[in-house]
Parts: sequence; C-alpha cells; structure tokens
Amino acid sequence: MAAPLELSCWGGGWGLPSVHSESLVVMAYAKFSGAPLKVNVIDKTWRGSRGDVPILTTEDNIVSQPAKILNFLRKQKYNADYELSAKQGADTLAYIALIEEKLLPAVLHTFWVESDNYFSVTKPWFASRIPFPLSLILPGRISKGALNRILLTRGEPPLYHLREVEAQIYRDAKECLNLLSNRLGTSQFFFGDTPSTLDAYVFGFLAPLYKVRFPKVQLQEHLKQLSNLCRFCDDILNSYFRLSLGVDHFLLKVNHRYLLSPC
Amino acid sequence: MMAFLQMCNLPIKVVCRANAEYMSPSGKVPFIHVGNQVVSELGPIVQFVKAKGHSLSDGLDEVQKAEMKAYMELVNNMLLTAELYLQWCDEATVGEITHARYGSPYPWPLNHILAYQKQWEVKRKMKAIGWGNKTLDQVLEDVDQCCQALSQRLGTQPYFFNKQPTELDALVFGHLYTILTTQLTNDELSEKVKNYSNLLAFCRRIEQHYFEDRGKGSSSIKSS
Repeated sequence: MAAPLELSCWGGGWGLPSVHSESLVVMAYAKFSGAPLKVNVIDKTWRGSRGDVPILTTEDNIVSQPAKILNFLRKQKYNADYELSAKQGADTLAYIALIEEKLLPAVLHTFWVESDNYFSVTKPWFASRIPFPLSLILPGRISKGALNRILLTRGEPPLYHLREVEAQIYRDAKECLNLLSNRLGTSQFFFGDTPSTLDAYVFGFLAPLYKVRFPKVQLQEHLKQLSNLCRFCDDILNSYFRLSLGVDHFLLKVNHRYLLSPC
Repeated sequence: MMAFLQMCNLPIKVVCRANAEYMSPSGKVPFIHVGNQVVSELGPIVQFVKAKGHSLSDGLDEVQKAEMKAYMELVNNMLLTAELYLQWCDEATVGEITHARYGSPYPWPLNHILAYQKQWEVKRKMKAIGWGNKTLDQVLEDVDQCCQALSQRLGTQPYFFNKQPTELDALVFGHLYTILTTQLTNDELSEKVKNYSNLLAFCRRIEQHYFEDRGKGSSSIKSS
C-alpha cells in the first residue's frame, strides 16, 4: 500500500489547474505517470513556507523543487519515461535546459517584472492567497527575485540597460518557442503517443503563458501563432485535467446553493 | 572556441593577455580579432564566421538544429555552471588554486581584491539560479547526468551529428578538454567524465585530428 502523496501548490485559474509553472509541471507529470496525488491548494490559511512550493509530502519525506519531486516519483515506480530510449532520455534533459535558459527568463518577466502585468494580474492573484501582512511583502520579494535572476544571468555587458536585456530575452524566448514547435511538428506528444517528462515541462511553462489574461501580451501573441503548441496544451488540459476541474466546478456550485438556501 | 575555428579550417593565432576580459566588447573571453573587428563569445563568433561563408551546421535540418541548440544549452547550463562552482564556490579549490591564478597578473593588494570581487559575483549568480545551496556532491551528480546524456546522444558515432563536426562538437570538446586537463585539488570532476569511454575517445579524436596534426604542442589528455 503506497504511502499517501500530498502535493502543496499554488491554485488554478483561467481554466488551468495551477497558474504556477513549477506546480503545473509536477501535476502534469503525476497525471501522466498515474501517481495518486492529493493536491492541496495553498490559500490564506496555509502555514508553510511559500518560497519552496511545490512541495511533495509523504509519511517520511518532504521533497521540494520539480526535478527532485519527479525523481522521487520515479523511484516510487511512477515513471512516465519507461518507454523512452536512452537517446530520447538525453534529448529530454537537453530540451529542459533549453526551456530553462531561453524561455524561463521571458516567462518570469511577463508574470513578475512587466509592471502592467504584475500590478494588475499577478500581484492581486497571489496576494489573495497569502495571509496579511505577508501578502504585502511576499509578492514584492518574488518579483525582485525574478528581476535579479534575469539580470544576473542575462544582463551582462554589452547589455547594460534593462530595456536591452528585455529585448534580448524576448527574442530568445520566441526562438525557443519556434524550436519547440518545430520539434513537436504534427505529433501529439514529443516522444510518440504517450506523454513523458518533457511534455510535462513544456506544458507547465507554456500553459500559463497561453491562458492567463495579461494586458501586455507580446510573448502570448507569438505563442498563439504556433498552433501546434496551443493544440498540445489544450489536448492535455482536456484529456488529463478536465474531469478534476469539472468536479471542482460542480462542488463549488453545490456549496454555493447550500449557502444561499440553508434548510 | 579554438576547436570550432580549427574545424572551419581557419588559420588562427592564439594570444594570452591578462586584460583579455576588458579588451573584449562583452567582457567575456574568448574573443577574436579579425582586421578591424573584434567579436566575442561563441554565439556571435559563430554568426560572424557564418557571415564570412564558413558554417558547420548547414547540413542539418530544422529538427536537428533545434536539438543542437538544446544540447548546447544543456552543456552551458550544467558543465559551465559546474566549472564555475568548482572554481569559485568550493573552498578548497578557491583557496589553493583559483585565487592565486586569477590574481597572478596583478600586484598586491589588487590581486586579492579582484579575486574576492569575482568570487562574490559568481556566488550571487549561483544563488539566483538556485545553485546556492547545492553541495559538491550534488553538483558532481548533475555533471554525471549531463555526461551520461551526452554519452547517450553520441553513442558510437564519430561526432554528435554523424559524420561532420558542428558547433556542438566544438563546445563539448572545449569543456571536456578543460575538465580533463586542468589541475584541481580533487579529481572527482575529471573522474566523472572519464567514466564515459566514448566521450574520452571523442576528445582524443578531435585533439589528434585538429590539433596535433597542425603541429600544436600543448598539454594533451592524460591517459588514465
């Protein structure tokens, strides 16, 4: 009897089970590999540290960071990659590195640094799930961390001005999206007919970019032009997440009706 | 870098300069000086060479080019960061080798100041990308994973994309060669690479083909 696996992560919105890329990667992998995860969505009452989220808790272990969580799940025999060849496994690592180097800076920028997006969408959403007074501090801290990361890894000379760095990271992100689109082609998943770790990572990073409604949308517009990537995200949402989203929706409606007319 | 230029059959002259980091337009070594132009870093140099009519990856299709870029990022992400970590965040190596080597062209106290400044910069970067809390063992494990991926991708082929060398081969050779030939306080990093015999053979083959044939007599890979 497997120990119960609990995942604490940021919640969903805009049709997604989670708006946080790393949480989404883990949730997608769990669905693909059949791992029975109990998902605990963070809200105001949650007591743990929010900096490490997503966090997997079992009876004896606490694991954070998507790569470590996925490794842990694989060791528990929930492996979405067992049909991959050695070369495909190597390709997976390479493409994940590509996403983290080229796409992640621009995604971080779109969510946490671009002021219109941050102040009108990201900050209110996260602040509503963090108790006061932490809600005043934590989003700002995450935003500074994102900017720091972008500048330290990409802001080296001759790109001295933030605007030039921004231009470069968006160029790189668009190129990365094009490369992913080329690689996916007309297949349903990246390696054959069943989804694997790479599909979880690509879905985790692309889906929030695709679905969340932002005022400043240049990267989102570019993604929407790559129809096979959009189809990829929609397919996974419909096949693996629609049932649970539907159930949540149903429960919400039932609760609402009960609250309105107590008997 | 040298490997890439050799692969393109371009004649080069190597010059070691203490202020190389400052001479370069982007603050990074290596850089090339061609006539009136100075171009630095692998990416732009490749573009520059391509514009002059030499390219190694023309024979690849779109999917292969995507793969090549992905593997280059993997190498940059894992191997380069691990090398930086070992040079600047591992106390033993820093104390014995790196400080002395980095500060050697400068008089006291400038040598200490510059070395500490660089170390602080590198530690900041490590923290930003999440490597700040990694132990040496975890870093070595990551390197092992990266080498395993490279080894699996290479398989029994002579180069990563079959018969012709590409930018990826030059990049991998550059990093592996440095790891294998640089003297450090512990040899664990080079031991990890030596575990993969096809990678060792790959390095030796490139060294022999492109460097020894042209009469360069620099330090060669020690046979284990």
